[in-house]
Amino acid sequence: MMDAPLLPLFILLTSLLAAPVLFSLPERAARLRTGINLGMAGLKVALVAWLSLKVSQGVIYDLRFELLPGLEFKLQADPLAILFIALSAVLWLITTIYSVGYLEHGPHRARFFGFFSLCVAATVGIALSGNLFTFLLFYELLTLATYPLVIHRGTAEALRAGRIYLIYTLAGGLVLLLGTLGLWVLAGTTDFVPGGVLAYVVAVNPLAAQLLFVVLIGALGVKAALFPFHVWLPIAMVAPAPVSALLHAVAVVKAGAFGIMRVVYEVFGIETAQALGVTAPLAVLAGVTIIYGSLKAITQDDIKKRLAYSTVSQVSYITLGVALASPLAAVGALAHLIHQGLMKITMFMVAGNLAEGLGVKRVSQMDGVGRAMPGSMLAFTLAALGMIGLPPLAGFVSKWYLAQGGLEAGQAWVIELLLGSSLLNAIYFMPMLHRAWFRDAAPETTGAPGRPRIGWMLAVPPAATAALVLIAGGFANAPFSPLEWTRFIVAIEYQE
Amino acid sequence: MSLAPFVTALALPLLLALALIWPQARSLVWRMMPFAPLPALALALLGDLPMHAQADWMILGLQFGLDEISRLFVIFTGLLWCAAGASARHWMRHDARATSFGVMFLMAQTGNLGLLLALDAASFYAFFAPMSFASYGLVLHSRTPQAQGAARLYIGFVVLGELALFAGLALAVAQAGSFHVADLRATALSDPAVALMMIGLCVKLGIMPLHFWLPPAHGAAPVPASAVLSGAMIKAGLFGMITLLPLGGVTYADHGTVMMAAGMVTIFAALLLGVQQTSPKAVLGYSSVSQMGILALGLGAGLMVPQAWVAILPVLVFLAAHHALAKGALFLGTGAFAAQTGPAAKLAVTLALLLPAFVLAGLPASSGALGKEALKTAFNAGSPVWLPWLTVALSLSGVATTLLMARYVAMIWLHPPGAPAKVTQEAVLLPFLALVGASLALPLVWVAVAGTLAAPISQAAPGALWPVALGVAMAAGVAIHAHAQRIGPAVFLAQITAPGRALALRADSILAAKRRAARRLAHAMPKAIGETAMRWRLGQTAIAGLIALTLLLEAGGSLRGEAAMPPAAQPGAAHPPGHMLPPYFEP
Repeated sequence: MMDAPLLPLFILLTSLLAAPVLFSLPERAARLRTGINLGMAGLKVALVAWLSLKVSQGVIYDLRFELLPGLEFKLQADPLAILFIALSAVLWLITTIYSVGYLEHGPHRARFFGFFSLCVAATVGIALSGNLFTFLLFYELLTLATYPLVIHRGTAEALRAGRIYLIYTLAGGLVLLLGTLGLWVLAGTTDFVPGGVLAYVVAVNPLAAQLLFVVLIGALGVKAALFPFHVWLPIAMVAPAPVSALLHAVAVVKAGAFGIMRVVYEVFGIETAQALGVTAPLAVLAGVTIIYGSLKAITQDDIKKRLAYSTVSQVSYITLGVALASPLAAVGALAHLIHQGLMKITMFMVAGNLAEGLGVKRVSQMDGVGRAMPGSMLAFTLAALGMIGLPPLAGFVSKWYLAQGGLEAGQAWVIELLLGSSLLNAIYFMPMLHRAWFRDAAPETTGAPGRPRIGWMLAVPPAATAALVLIAGGFANAPFSPLEWTRFIVAIEYQE
Repeated sequence: MSLAPFVTALALPLLLALALIWPQARSLVWRMMPFAPLPALALALLGDLPMHAQADWMILGLQFGLDEISRLFVIFTGLLWCAAGASARHWMRHDARATSFGVMFLMAQTGNLGLLLALDAASFYAFFAPMSFASYGLVLHSRTPQAQGAARLYIGFVVLGELALFAGLALAVAQAGSFHVADLRATALSDPAVALMMIGLCVKLGIMPLHFWLPPAHGAAPVPASAVLSGAMIKAGLFGMITLLPLGGVTYADHGTVMMAAGMVTIFAALLLGVQQTSPKAVLGYSSVSQMGILALGLGAGLMVPQAWVAILPVLVFLAAHHALAKGALFLGTGAFAAQTGPAAKLAVTLALLLPAFVLAGLPASSGALGKEALKTAFNAGSPVWLPWLTVALSLSGVATTLLMARYVAMIWLHPPGAPAKVTQEAVLLPFLALVGASLALPLVWVAVAGTLAAPISQAAPGALWPVALGVAMAAGVAIHAHAQRIGPAVFLAQITAPGRALALRADSILAAKRRAARRLAHAMPKAIGETAMRWRLGQTAIAGLIALTLLLEAGGSLRGEAAMPPAAQPGAAHPPGHMLPPYFEP
């Protein structure tokens, strides 16, 4: 029952077509621009909801356009795609509201929202890609669409950050192109198929398969901020707060992590990859990144930099869960794709609010900000406690499943790794909470009490995502929760 | 069974905490503060056991329930929160950070009640963690340097405990293949799983060497918060072990040995550390540590000898309730004492404080003594090798507690704790006296409340007086010594010998007078004798004397002979005269 076979295409077009319209709007047409932005974002959420309902009923959408013989542009909506697309649709809506409020009187809003739309379109495209070739196209588009956002402020620091970002991601993109070619040569197809397409190659030429794995994961690892390719991420935090939020929660970093999932599960196949002996080193690399990112985060005084290193650490949970090759760990990894997104976007938006409302940009300035901005800091607190892994928040659920997965895979060191990471999370987040709530405010952050320091467009989005953090954890077992959906996906990927 | 009663029980404190954010609602919330635990109490007192309800869609499959054990925990925990809430309402009335305190207080309360109702590992952890983290705000409340240090230490140990508990639960759930606590208890969990959970829970329980945070934290928190920290939340560790560990089914000899050794050390080391404290609330904190050592002995015995657990468990629950009420009373009483201004009122409160102090020390027939006696009986079911040691240790713990209580009473006078500038004196007195009453009545009430689980208590011997008496005597000795140290040994010696020296001085003067008289006598004597003899006519006197002597001797002899003769007509002498002779006179 394919009542709307073009549904995935429509979802892609909601943001892809919005971009040129937004570019062409004059700078002062703020009301119209906001209308288009929110209308499209809302429409996309509705379409994605419809799509997920269909997919949960077992409908698989598959759209192909043959560009060259054997080379197809392919969109498919499988449960894994839905997971990522739902995250990006919901968070796009929320971030759009936030961006409108954040950039209310700033310059170059037409440019900003145009690229913002393109960036989301690329993310949706990545989610819906049915083969590595299509994935590559959108992956490159994402790089190019994010660059103007990173350098949006136009300062020397922003330009430098943009340059570093571009060097890392373009290099990664080139390697990915190489890997895509390699895959095409070896397997004759670049399609994503549960169970993988390389079983024969692995049996015949394991060395080539191993090399291909290294190339693909290395390329994707740049965006996923795997150690030692993470360097660009903390530097790119000079971008405006909504961009950082989107970069860390949905777009770039998650595109890399999502790509790793596709490569491990649907290019190689988890059993094939395990037999090839490449998952264990990947798990170790993820573990190293987790600890390294946390250690670096402790030493940062700049709030956004601390959050950026925390992302380096947290996103590797996803890679770790994928690499552990156990269904339970996979549930944890996939759920963390959503959970980390919700938590980190909350924190970045609150960081933006602190800078906007109070001029607070450093951890050492955070004394007493809880009293000045209780709503935002409450949202931040929920997200931070979730990152540490406290129940009933979202982060607990993913950590719990990763731990269970580690035990299932017979890798007890994962528990120790998770404990170490949680401890480090506590060490770098709890002082922030302590300062915000339990220290008396510095003179410059105490103003007239009761007066809202930020508009509702800045206040509501982090509150909404924090509520989602609570809901995703507190109602983890409910139908259509991220956890339930990931269980559905894992059942497919592990072909149970 | 429906979820509604459980949700109601937990929603009231949680919603009150959230309501504190609105300034308009604050006064109402503070008025409601003592009643926040009432839905949970009502559930425990009125509900039919066993209760069970589940919501699969919440967290990782939420399950709530109450059984006979958790019901008792809810009752004494709820009571304590009620009393502390009533006290906090007045204690915090004029505090600048009252709202922050209220939010943390109610969050901790939600967590504490919730973990008692939770029946699955994830929910237990989900309530345990907010309780621990919210208490950070309670410890830090005063923001003094001591409070800052205590809070830092506290949060460090909390994180350590939470991590250990997380790892332990993750292992346990993987091994049991289920979240339900009954399945965890029925599974032979691996040694590391049990050890990690024990570490996580012993941090809360303050078993050495995981106790460092406890006395400073209980000392630094405001009085109502100390009462629940020391009375209610500390027991979450015990409850966790009872509900999560496969006690009574599997032998964990090593864990049990460590636990018993730690308990034994804890009981007495806490005494040594506690008597050095000058803050009365820190002394109480060490007393809590020492008391938790007793619980650790019971837990250790249960780990080592599973068949003894059936007998030990009800006693541990009783001891937990006993300590909750007595220690809660002592903490609230510390506040009540500090709030009084006149010396007479202070003295009256001190006298009232002596009641829970003696209950805690184990005065015969009090809940403390009954609990310890019942524990000795329960240990009988275990290995006989360590039984004598335990019996002695339990008795000596009474001495230790008495000493700590003596130190506490001395310190509230010497280093009185701070109290808010404006506080209604009677209002803070009332919750204290209520807890004192509850603590005294516990042995009687327990039979009605606990049903069959009260059997070991109602059958227990009243206990001996000597540990408390010895403690009091030692305390008196120490007090005298301390007095001597304070005023200097020489002065003290002078002071203590003053009556003696006064006596000696008087004796001296009397003797001197006597000596003078004797000397006079000695001069006068020969002459006087001669004159008397001349006057009495020596010869006549001597003859008269001889006659008198002879008569005296005669009379004496005849009297003796009469007494030796058998009474001729003694009543009831039915024997013929011949039979009166001893057998060897017969021919």
